Amino acid sequence: MFRPVKLTRLTIQAPEDQISAVMAILGDLRLLHLIRVEETHLGHLGYVAHIDTSLLEHYDSLLARANRLLRDLGPTGPSAGIKKVPQPDKAVFRLEEELAHIETEALGPLERKKKAKNAISEHEGLIARLQLLEPAKIDLDRLHDLRYVTWRAGLIPEENLNKLEQSLVGTYHTLIPVGRKEQRVVLLAMSLKEDEEALLRALKSAFWDPLELPPGIHGTIGKALDRLSAELEHLKTELAGLDTEGAELTQKYGARLKRLCEEILLARQLLKAQAEFGQIDHTYLLAGWIPVALFEELKKRILKATSGKVLVDQVDPKDIKEVRSGILKIPILFNNPMLIRPFERLTTLYGTPSYEELEPTVFLAVSFLLLFGMMFGDVGHGAILCALGYYVFRKMYRYIDYGIILMECGVSSMIFGLLYGSVFGLEDLIPALWMHPMEEINRFMVMSAFLGIGVISLGLVLNLINVIRQHRYGELLSTSGLAGALLYWLGVGLVARYLLSEGLSPFELIFAKVAAGALIILMILQRPVRTVLAQRRTGKKWRHLPPGLGGTILESFIEILDDLLRYLANTVSFVRVAAFALTHAGLFIAVFSLADMVQNVHGQGIFYWITIILGNIVIIALEGIVVSVQTLRLEYYEFFSKFFRGGGKPFQPLIEEEELPGHVTRS
Amino acid sequence: MIFAAGGYAYPNAKVRALRSRRLTAQDRHFLLEARDFSSFLAYLVTTPYGRVLPDLEEEKTDPGMLERRLARSLMEDYAKVTRSLRGQREQELVLALFSRFESENLKVLLRAMFSGRGKQAVSHLLYPLGKLSALPWDDLWAYNNPAKIADLLIRNPFGQALKHAIPQFNVQGRLFPLEMALDLSCFQRLKQAISGLRSRSDRKAAKRILGPYVDILNISWVIRLKIHYGLSHEEIVNYSLPGGELLTLSHLHRLALAEDISSFLEQMPRSLQKEVGEVRDWEDFHTYLETWFLRLIARLFMGPPFHVGIEIAFLLEKEMELTSLITLLEAKAQGLSPRRTVKKLPRQFSGVAHV
Repeated sequence: MFRPVKLTRLTIQAPEDQISAVMAILGDLRLLHLIRVEETHLGHLGYVAHIDTSLLEHYDSLLARANRLLRDLGPTGPSAGIKKVPQPDKAVFRLEEELAHIETEALGPLERKKKAKNAISEHEGLIARLQLLEPAKIDLDRLHDLRYVTWRAGLIPEENLNKLEQSLVGTYHTLIPVGRKEQRVVLLAMSLKEDEEALLRALKSAFWDPLELPPGIHGTIGKALDRLSAELEHLKTELAGLDTEGAELTQKYGARLKRLCEEILLARQLLKAQAEFGQIDHTYLLAGWIPVALFEELKKRILKATSGKVLVDQVDPKDIKEVRSGILKIPILFNNPMLIRPFERLTTLYGTPSYEELEPTVFLAVSFLLLFGMMFGDVGHGAILCALGYYVFRKMYRYIDYGIILMECGVSSMIFGLLYGSVFGLEDLIPALWMHPMEEINRFMVMSAFLGIGVISLGLVLNLINVIRQHRYGELLSTSGLAGALLYWLGVGLVARYLLSEGLSPFELIFAKVAAGALIILMILQRPVRTVLAQRRTGKKWRHLPPGLGGTILESFIEILDDLLRYLANTVSFVRVAAFALTHAGLFIAVFSLADMVQNVHGQGIFYWITIILGNIVIIALEGIVVSVQTLRLEYYEFFSKFFRGGGKPFQPLIEEEELPGHVTRS
Repeated sequence: MIFAAGGYAYPNAKVRALRSRRLTAQDRHFLLEARDFSSFLAYLVTTPYGRVLPDLEEEKTDPGMLERRLARSLMEDYAKVTRSLRGQREQELVLALFSRFESENLKVLLRAMFSGRGKQAVSHLLYPLGKLSALPWDDLWAYNNPAKIADLLIRNPFGQALKHAIPQFNVQGRLFPLEMALDLSCFQRLKQAISGLRSRSDRKAAKRILGPYVDILNISWVIRLKIHYGLSHEEIVNYSLPGGELLTLSHLHRLALAEDISSFLEQMPRSLQKEVGEVRDWEDFHTYLETWFLRLIARLFMGPPFHVGIEIAFLLEKEMELTSLITLLEAKAQGLSPRRTVKKLPRQFSGVAHV
């Protein structure tokens, strides 16, 4: 929990004919962070593996076919689940066969369904067109039978009707407006057959939208509509039958099809990953990071699957020169329990911890919830946040982490609400288990400052652990190291002693002065001394004092002043926790006062409650955002800045979970 | 009258200030008599248009690109005039007039789409509309289909017009119906904006200036569609713009049927016949009509000032000055002599050009 998962560097050498089997096992195991061959010496020398493009294209075409079936069948249930990760070069034959089998059964009915849908759409379009002409009560047969007259039905924009009429002056014609639709006139235009071209020219330039009537339509429009409606009903019945057939197919093949898709995607990913391998002649070389605990299992499985034809080795990171010199970074695989895991997002927002550092998510999670609860303590509001978080958790898969954080914040608010005795701002419903913030402002502020001291002290302790783990012993005597921490705690101790006993004894004063003086001198001198020692080691000699020593001492002095002031500012900064808790209570007072005023004016209870509800909504939205931002600020600026350096590299598994449509089960 | 004076005091002062930045007689003379294209540009830089020109020493002086750069001055004036007007309906009138430039840019967009070119390739053909245009240009450029553009603009007159023209676009397989629909929609909007004006004097003034303007365009279009495009009289009438004052649909129909210049002149309303009586070439009609229109504008500026006609007249006058300047620029780029160029310019631009 306080450390990322321990990783080891894995190297595999596999002959060309075994690489697919190795890939299948690696894909199944998932937790491998590949080291791209381009980043290694091998890559620089050009020994980069090539992807089997024809195989990849085969998978692409399979995926397109499977997706088409998925789209047409539209299965909603879960996938059948992958029993075993596919070995790309072999699995393609099985996948092809399975897909072809489903296609043989499904494509026929799907094609018929598509045709039925098209026919329905055509019928509906035709009915809509005929309905536009219905008021004219035309007998289409009589129109078709006209020997000397040509006719057209269509729509033109209303404003063009006059122009159309004028443009046909001199041509025997008639324009019969039949109805209107969306600022257009439904028109029946007629002219002599010999003037047909003139009529068409005029209609075209008047933005004519023809109502095409297929030759098969006969009789009066009413009768044609009746016949088409009957046909439409018949088509709909046919479609319903095809729908049932489709549903049966979906039921029969849906889960299998989903699983096929997942397998195809997985095989494609594995194939594509090969581009990150090295290759010398017919041997593939791949390297990556894997949890130490998984190495033996992986080795055993690979050796078993390849009859020992593959070399699998591990190297302890400590033995890798590039890791020691910092050129190669070990990726970070977080290792937190479920309730803490969402906070990893907030940690990585600040930076990715390096492999040697303490992993700070658990501290962030606990302090975040504590600070949030203190500033937003209310049982009612906490319950609403909790409910909102639950909704996000259930309905918005992409934001599931934020849903959990919201729920946890809600619970924290509720706990502090119980401590403050506040339910939707009403402080007389339940007794306060601790105190009402508005009634004990001074005490609450002092408490907040001490909370800040606690958080900062924790940051200083974590920093000391990091310093020791990363062997940065030189920093122990700096302001951010042990010396700085001791000075800070000395100051805190003196203030606490003064507040508790209202005075300090002469011994305590002398001890404080001597200790502080010694620590400050240590902090001032540590850098120049380190500079001198470093120059000694490099063999440089000087006559009197090393050059630039005065400047270094001055810099150290200024740095100490700056850092001490920052400690003070950081501690005082936590008073905002009390301030926001008071704001929370203050806003309620404002809302209740407003509600009283509204009630006095309108004399109705309903307005009182509307004001209270709106006020609560505003408080939850506004203050919820402000408190979150402030908490995050305290975490990042006052807490993380004390110990967290970051600069790490996130662990990227060979196959990302989100890239697959469904869940792929491990064997 | 007092209310009108109050309402139009600021816009009129603004317009008069802007009008003072027209090209002077001296400017027009030196521009017309410029030895060559580079001398023309060297002088143009010293005029009020110099402000909107690029750094001629650094950039390539392509006439096409300069034309649109020069238009920036007009676009800025549109924005200033719109801001100066208080009433929403008066602003709508100016915006309706401005929509002609939006329409031009939409046409460029459609042509680019039709020919598979991107915005970058045709950007030199676009009017610099500025913030006055409220159309979602970025979204429009992202689309690749006229039907989608029509849907996106459906709350705008352009959208409705495009939607109505799409069936013909599909039938004909060319952009012409869409382009015509865009043009017609601008003038339909203009006509509606005039009828939407509250004050009677505003409506009258707007009609007085915009009616003849539409007439000129209709005559020019009849000539263009008849002579250059060879369209039939039925089509010409249907493609005529609404909102003219002197020319009725019947006039336009007869003009479209006229076979030569003399019969064309005979079919014109009497009031226009004397203005274009000397025309012997189809090409000259537009110049004569512009000369007449600029006289109308000048007369309007001498009459009562408190109506929206002043703003509209100023913008049209400026547009014509810009058109003349562009004609001159093209003539200079082609190396035409001042004598030949003068024939293409309205008399107000060329006739009084003296120092």
